[in-house]
Amino acid sequence: MIKNYIKTAFRSLQKNKGFTTINVLGLALGLATCLLIVFYVVDELSYDKYNVNASRIYRVNEDLKLGDNKVQYAVCMAPLAQTLKNDFPDVENAVRLKKIGDMHVTKGTESILEDNALFADPSVFDVFTLPAIYGDEKTALTEPNTVVITEEMAKKYFGKLNVVGENLIIDGNLQKPIKVTAVIKNIPEQSHFHVDFLVSMASNPEGHSTEWLRSDYNTYVLMRKGADYKRLEAQFPQFLRKYSGGQMQQELNMSYDTFEKNGSYFRLNMMPLTDIHLHSNLTGELGTNGNVEYVYIFSAIAIFILLIACVNFMNLSTARSANRAREVGVRKVLGSARKHLMFQFLAESTMVTFIAVIIALVTAMLALPAFNHFAGKNIIVNSHTLTWLAPSALIAILLIGFLAGLYPAFFLSAFNPMQVLKGKISAGFKGGALRSFLVVLQFSISIFLIIGTLVIYNQLHYIQNRDLGYNRNQVLIIQHAFELGDHAKTFKQEIKQLPGVTNATLSGYLPVKSTRGTGIFYKEAVADPKKSLFPQIWSVDEDYISTLAMKIKAGRDFSAQMPSDSNAIVINETAAKFLGFTDPVNKVVYRSSGGPNPTYKPYTIIGMVKDFNFSSLRDNISPVVMQLNTDNSSLSIKVNTANIPALLSQIENRWKDFTPAHFQYSFMDQDFDAMYRSEQRIGTIFIAFTTLAIVIACLGLFGLAAYAAEQRTKEIGIRKVLGASIATIAGMLSLDFIKLVCISILIASPIAWYLMQKWLQDFAYRIGIAWWVFAIAGVAALFIAFITISFQSIKAAIANPVNSLRSE
Amino acid sequence: MLSLQHISKFYQVGGTRNFVINDISLEVEAGEFISIMGPSGSGKSTLLNIIGMLDEPSSGYHYFAGETVHQLKDKQRSALYKKYIGFVFQAYHLIDELTVYENIETPLIYQDFKSTERKAMVADMLDRFQIVGKKDLFPAQLSGGQQQLVGIARALIAGPKLLLADEPTGNLNSKQGEEIMQLFKKLNKEDGVTIIQVTHSEKNAEYGSRIINLLDGRIESSKQL
Ligand SMILES: Nc1ncnc2c1ncn2[C@@H]1O[C@H](COP(=O)(O)OP(=O)(O)O)[C@@H](O)[C@H]1O
Ligand SMILES: [Mg+2]
Repeated sequence: MIKNYIKTAFRSLQKNKGFTTINVLGLALGLATCLLIVFYVVDELSYDKYNVNASRIYRVNEDLKLGDNKVQYAVCMAPLAQTLKNDFPDVENAVRLKKIGDMHVTKGTESILEDNALFADPSVFDVFTLPAIYGDEKTALTEPNTVVITEEMAKKYFGKLNVVGENLIIDGNLQKPIKVTAVIKNIPEQSHFHVDFLVSMASNPEGHSTEWLRSDYNTYVLMRKGADYKRLEAQFPQFLRKYSGGQMQQELNMSYDTFEKNGSYFRLNMMPLTDIHLHSNLTGELGTNGNVEYVYIFSAIAIFILLIACVNFMNLSTARSANRAREVGVRKVLGSARKHLMFQFLAESTMVTFIAVIIALVTAMLALPAFNHFAGKNIIVNSHTLTWLAPSALIAILLIGFLAGLYPAFFLSAFNPMQVLKGKISAGFKGGALRSFLVVLQFSISIFLIIGTLVIYNQLHYIQNRDLGYNRNQVLIIQHAFELGDHAKTFKQEIKQLPGVTNATLSGYLPVKSTRGTGIFYKEAVADPKKSLFPQIWSVDEDYISTLAMKIKAGRDFSAQMPSDSNAIVINETAAKFLGFTDPVNKVVYRSSGGPNPTYKPYTIIGMVKDFNFSSLRDNISPVVMQLNTDNSSLSIKVNTANIPALLSQIENRWKDFTPAHFQYSFMDQDFDAMYRSEQRIGTIFIAFTTLAIVIACLGLFGLAAYAAEQRTKEIGIRKVLGASIATIAGMLSLDFIKLVCISILIASPIAWYLMQKWLQDFAYRIGIAWWVFAIAGVAALFIAFITISFQSIKAAIANPVNSLRSE
Repeated sequence: MLSLQHISKFYQVGGTRNFVINDISLEVEAGEFISIMGPSGSGKSTLLNIIGMLDEPSSGYHYFAGETVHQLKDKQRSALYKKYIGFVFQAYHLIDELTVYENIETPLIYQDFKSTERKAMVADMLDRFQIVGKKDLFPAQLSGGQQQLVGIARALIAGPKLLLADEPTGNLNSKQGEEIMQLFKKLNKEDGVTIIQVTHSEKNAEYGSRIINLLDGRIESSKQL
């Protein structure tokens, strides 16, 4: 019996090659897209799970509020880890990690800056799962001047894997040879921190600090099995009071009670390790994390696309099966029970789904490298992937096959055979209320996606073209100017003399991703958090404001001619607002020296710059205080020439006169774009998926239109014989669908408006959604639908009526 | 073999009942060959379908092979039908996607015959109708007469006691029609198959043993030959 069904199914599919192709390809395309998104989502969700103890590891975060200033840190105090281990039996182990900012490793004559270097306590191997290939993890990081490196670094610096006992020559602050004590496997891609060098914490001169009022260490806790971290968290307030109270009295001259009474606080909280990648974006993260919002958005898109593809499949299957009403009638007359017929239709759609799933799997594999490229991922398919992919594919086949076959199975098998055979049930196309509903569903989703894409693109465009309060164009940034040592200023002066250079400034504090530092200013010479400002403090030179073309709103810029400017500051508008100064110029604020009996140093505000954006435009501008200070992290050069390569080589030659260090540069506008790379990527992916969704929806519409035309061949023939024009007939055939698309526009627009409005709330600087976005989306959908349908309609209308009438 | 008593069938059109079969009573003995005639729309097909249990009457009593059909459930009726009845259509109604062989085989599949049995039975039938050479062709590759031959072979494959044929020669030329009638006559005489056919042709009707004339849903006349 099954053989008979499969045979019929196969031959019937073959006979309707066009339909079958559209049906299978549409579904395959949808499934492939969906699969890629699933890969992406699975990858995002798998962060840090490589750790055997992942479910027991927590990072301790710190929330700090001083007066009106709030900061959330991913770092904690130096003594915290050890103290937690001593005081709480629930804490099985704890480890501190600290980024090493300027790790230069010598290779031959070259000095290479390594970004992924951390100081780590020896317990790092007990908390995280970082298996060693060579060397002993237990003792690897107990001594000063020891380092554990990844296999990749072993190959890079020694050209072999077993390098235990060899020395790495470190430049920068460490300035000494350190011994490799172990080689570990490369850190998996799915880790919230990426490290190539783990230097023993004992090598860190500040590693033994007992400061409870400074936070520099990413601190991770391994809880005992079965221990509840909430219970530990509940004890933190008491714990902090105990350890930081004394130091607060000493350094801030304030009791912990007064501190809290003023509305300020220190708070510690624990974040599960596996939440970090998607849910954490704090100050002091070890790397750039992902964003759970995008996981949601992509999951939604995947479901949408799957839905559209399945609806297509269902619609086309149903439409086509109406052609087979006669077969159903005959089979019933020949004695087929209803359940046999239902089984037949279900088996058939499952078969088609199976083929589609196979094509989808192959397509997804082939498209994976391209997808990786523009999603900025490194997803690979391995045997582990198959353990969930194979069962899911099977479930998908059965589920989609079942759903798609369901309607024809129930609907057709219920026909009265004699009526079918008499041709009473032509399975009138117009009567397909379900089909209309499904078409509306598909187009609502497509229109929603079009609107979403337009809004996202407008927002990104807006961000990139907003007046940021400074000019990032034609600014060249020379990195690591500290390599120049004492010659940095001379170098800057020489560069300023070059033709094509308008200005230059030495400072690592740039409005793109770069160095950041904070501190406290008081309005009076007492440590009163209520009258304090907690701004970013930027060290700049007197050319800074002019080089970046920031606007002075009041007062003046720093000047080399004014020696008193070493005690002067320039603030931004937000800082003035926080301080409550309408006219901040010549007002004086104070910084505390700290320690017992602190002294207070006065600073005069000499100017106020217009607010400028220096972090993501998702965030509001926070207070900034600029101070004349030497910071040689980088040299920013405002250039004014078309021949940048020539200028660059001139600058590089000067650089080489001063230092053998590697010459590294970037452009500020590119650095700015980098801040929005994830948004850019999302935008691109969104567009790609939207396009696919619309293509799939149109594929379905194309099929349905073809089917509708076929159903009505006889009617069309008669109408033509009676004198109807091609245009009238094409219009008649298109109208039904166009109506459905119009309904979709009405449904999708308000939903899209609401959801996109919510997305925009995340941006401190955002666009409004203009009416024309909806107009464009609507017209586009109508246009695409019309083109798709009219192709079929016109084809049907042009056909010679004699042929169609004879076939009846 | 079957008995209809006071069978009526109507369709509700607006407020009025439109009687298609109006109080018909009919006895059919095993081995009869009945021809039903009458103008178009007189209810011939409807009557045949009711006899074949493909359509239900609005009222009346229906007995078949000792069973009280009007009291049976769908499933039982379908089982009864499968066991006793074969149907032949004016428009052949072969399944386009199946070959001649497979078309003939299909009823056997629904009656759960084993594959080897099916093979033998179909081979036998192909042989008997002299269409062995055509067994791998699809319906579209056959002439009308050949298609109807396959249709009849399919109706007979499971060895029905009653063959119902609704204008079996309606789409055929007179020579092809005559061949089909010869075949029916032979089936009736030699195999004892009871046959009820609907026909428009006086000549074909006379192959039967009784002719029933319908008019407006009533039996207008009945003639034993
Ligand atoms: N579903 C239906 N609804 C209303 N009237 C019907 C239906 N099916 C058949 N009829 C009517 O029943 C009458 C008899 O039909 P039928 O038995 O096919 O006639 P015949 O086969 O004698 O030409 C016709 O007048 C037809 O219009
Ligand atoms: Mg009829």
